[in-house]
Amino acid sequence: MRAAVFLALKDLRLLMRDRAAAFFTFVFPLAIALFFGYVFSGTTSEPLRVAAFVEQSSPAATMLIKALDEDGGFKLTVTDARAAGEQLVRRGEAVGLLIVPATYAEGIDGVFSGGGAKLGLVVDPSRRAEGAMLVGKIHEVAFRTVFATVGDPVQFARVLDRMEESLKASDLSFTDRLAIRTAMSRARTMSTKGADGSAATQSQSLADWKPVSVDIAELSMRPGVPANSFAISFMQGIAWALFGAVLSFGSGIAEERQRGTLVRLLVSPMSPNQILFGKALACFVTCLATEWMLVFAGMFLFRVEVSHWPLMVAVTLVTAFGFSGIMMLLAAGFRTQGGTQGAGRAVLLVLAMIGGGTVPLVFMPPFLRVASNLSPFKWAVMAAEGATWRSWGMSEMLLPLAVLAAIGVFGLTVGTALVRRSI
Amino acid sequence: MIRVRDIRKSFGSIAAVDGVTFDVHRGEIFGLLGPNGAGKSTAIATCTGQLAPDSGSIEIGEAGSPRAARARALIGLAPQQIALYEELTARENLVFLARVHGIPEPVRRADELLDMVGLLPRARDRVATFSGGMQRRLNLAAALVHNPTAIFLDEPTAGVDPQSRTAILDVVQRLANEGRAVIYTTHYMEEAQRICSRVAIMDRGRVLAIGTVAELIAEHGGDSVVTVDSLAGEHRVRTREPLREIERALAEGGATAVRIEQPDLEMVFLALTGRRLRD
Ligand SMILES: Nc1ncnc2c1ncn2[C@@H]1O[C@H](COP(=O)(O)OP(=O)(O)OP(=O)(O)O)[C@@H](O)[C@H]1O
Ligand SMILES: [Mg+2]
Repeated sequence: MRAAVFLALKDLRLLMRDRAAAFFTFVFPLAIALFFGYVFSGTTSEPLRVAAFVEQSSPAATMLIKALDEDGGFKLTVTDARAAGEQLVRRGEAVGLLIVPATYAEGIDGVFSGGGAKLGLVVDPSRRAEGAMLVGKIHEVAFRTVFATVGDPVQFARVLDRMEESLKASDLSFTDRLAIRTAMSRARTMSTKGADGSAATQSQSLADWKPVSVDIAELSMRPGVPANSFAISFMQGIAWALFGAVLSFGSGIAEERQRGTLVRLLVSPMSPNQILFGKALACFVTCLATEWMLVFAGMFLFRVEVSHWPLMVAVTLVTAFGFSGIMMLLAAGFRTQGGTQGAGRAVLLVLAMIGGGTVPLVFMPPFLRVASNLSPFKWAVMAAEGATWRSWGMSEMLLPLAVLAAIGVFGLTVGTALVRRSI
Repeated sequence: MIRVRDIRKSFGSIAAVDGVTFDVHRGEIFGLLGPNGAGKSTAIATCTGQLAPDSGSIEIGEAGSPRAARARALIGLAPQQIALYEELTARENLVFLARVHGIPEPVRRADELLDMVGLLPRARDRVATFSGGMQRRLNLAAALVHNPTAIFLDEPTAGVDPQSRTAILDVVQRLANEGRAVIYTTHYMEEAQRICSRVAIMDRGRVLAIGTVAELIAEHGGDSVVTVDSLAGEHRVRTREPLREIERALAEGGATAVRIEQPDLEMVFLALTGRRLRD
């Protein structure tokens, strides 16, 4: 038993010395989390191409279009017919068509008496993620123009409160809610910044205002809705963290065999089971470490909130256990280091990709959501989301945890038996 | 200490070890001498429990089969292929193995061994940065962390320079002097001649002859060659009694130089197989 712990410690040390393996286990997942976080928060450098159609010209509508045009986040094409705009979307030349209805000006006037300005948006269904970004950005700019017209931060804050209330009760889609929240949080930041300053600083803050993604993190989490895009992307990162850990330890046994060091271990008083236990332990510890690294990085950098700490602990433990099982299956399936790093990597890559590593689970089209059930990564990501923004209770958590535990038991028994036969 | 009885091991149609029997006692260096593919490594693998023999038996001291946990504590193995963690330092390699074996004070033990093979100054360097000879020496040290009494060294001098070779042979000699049983494979007959108390000549999975070097040479080495140079020219004589031949030459007078070529293990191998040990 103690020997197995020393073996695990040795493997962890080797992992840290292997730059590529350490990179894929610790740095790459973080990079992915940051990358997708920024992509979905809409602060990519690439401006979104958007078509716009104004039903009836008005000063308010002109102001909105001008603001959108000057925002820099868009590349706006104003069309003079709705059909022409839709055509652009259909051809993929625009992510969406913004429709400024004839009632827009009226709506703006009524914002503070309880009404609201409505905008229409037609998006390409296959580009939902970008659509969500677009909704957020449009809201943000729209708020800005409204705010600029009215210029009263206190009243504005009240409007925001009221909107938040109605948002909670609304049956908007997930992506819309995410987008609106993001926009509202930005508007609120702006308005509070202005509220405690003079009129000069107020307009200053408006003029200087740039969509900085970190701002969105100021939203507090609401059950079932991620506070920001990083709440999603950091859970995606977990898939890649597990991918890296499983891959480097899955080839560890093959590596010891090829290096000849396995012979030394077999001639030592360690039993084969102890050797494999040590390997699994090292993988388990690494999975845990990289999962928590992502959770903490998300918490401190982007205010990703853990909704239920005991469940989060359970999720990471069970996930690490499940993926140690997968590591053992990988070691059993591919007997050489080359095999693991080649074919094994390919298999894992596909599983990680359909398991939420690239397209987040919430944005998945239905067929992919079904296919993702086959990927162990899906259950890991899902469980992690459950303990963070999904705010799951024990009952909802049971299925993913059971799946991960079953994978672990299966992998560790069958995988160990197969590897034992080969050493 | 090591008792091997009629072991056989085949890989498919290749009989790698084909009925090998020998004993190795404490304090003895037992050489397994044979060309590439003779079955030396396979014999070692079966003796150390890595491979189960198809038939035959192996006993390590009182502990019995090498696959028993008790026997494994007695076995020290330096595999032919260098088996070290290249990304760890020399010291880390030995400390890890000492820990796996449950040795108290693993760091002290590691340094003791590093000193023994002359690597203490490089203790903190990664094995990947070592020369082949240095890796060989560490590979040997790694076999010794747990103070084994049945030591198997599979070509411990392969690819090392004369200096490293001398260092390694000194260590091996010391192990035997301390009362351990050492099995030593090689295809360098000079080495076998220099340190082995007894030698088994192996070829194609079989042991062709076993004995001390002197016995083997006496039995299979054939005649010595005495060469006498004189003004009349060179005169070569094959004989079992070279000293007598020299006496005779000196008595005749006129000899300017005398040389004796004694038969060695190479000649023994040639006599036993009709082939040279190394081509
Ligand atoms: N794992 C294996 N699978 C198949 N054949 C093997 C295996 N190991 C050894 N052999 C065969 O058994 C025979 C003996 O090999 P072995 O390695 O024991 O020779 P050796 O005396 O150690 O040679 P060398 O001096 O080259 O190390 C060879 O013909 C080799 O091809
Ligand atoms: Mg060999």
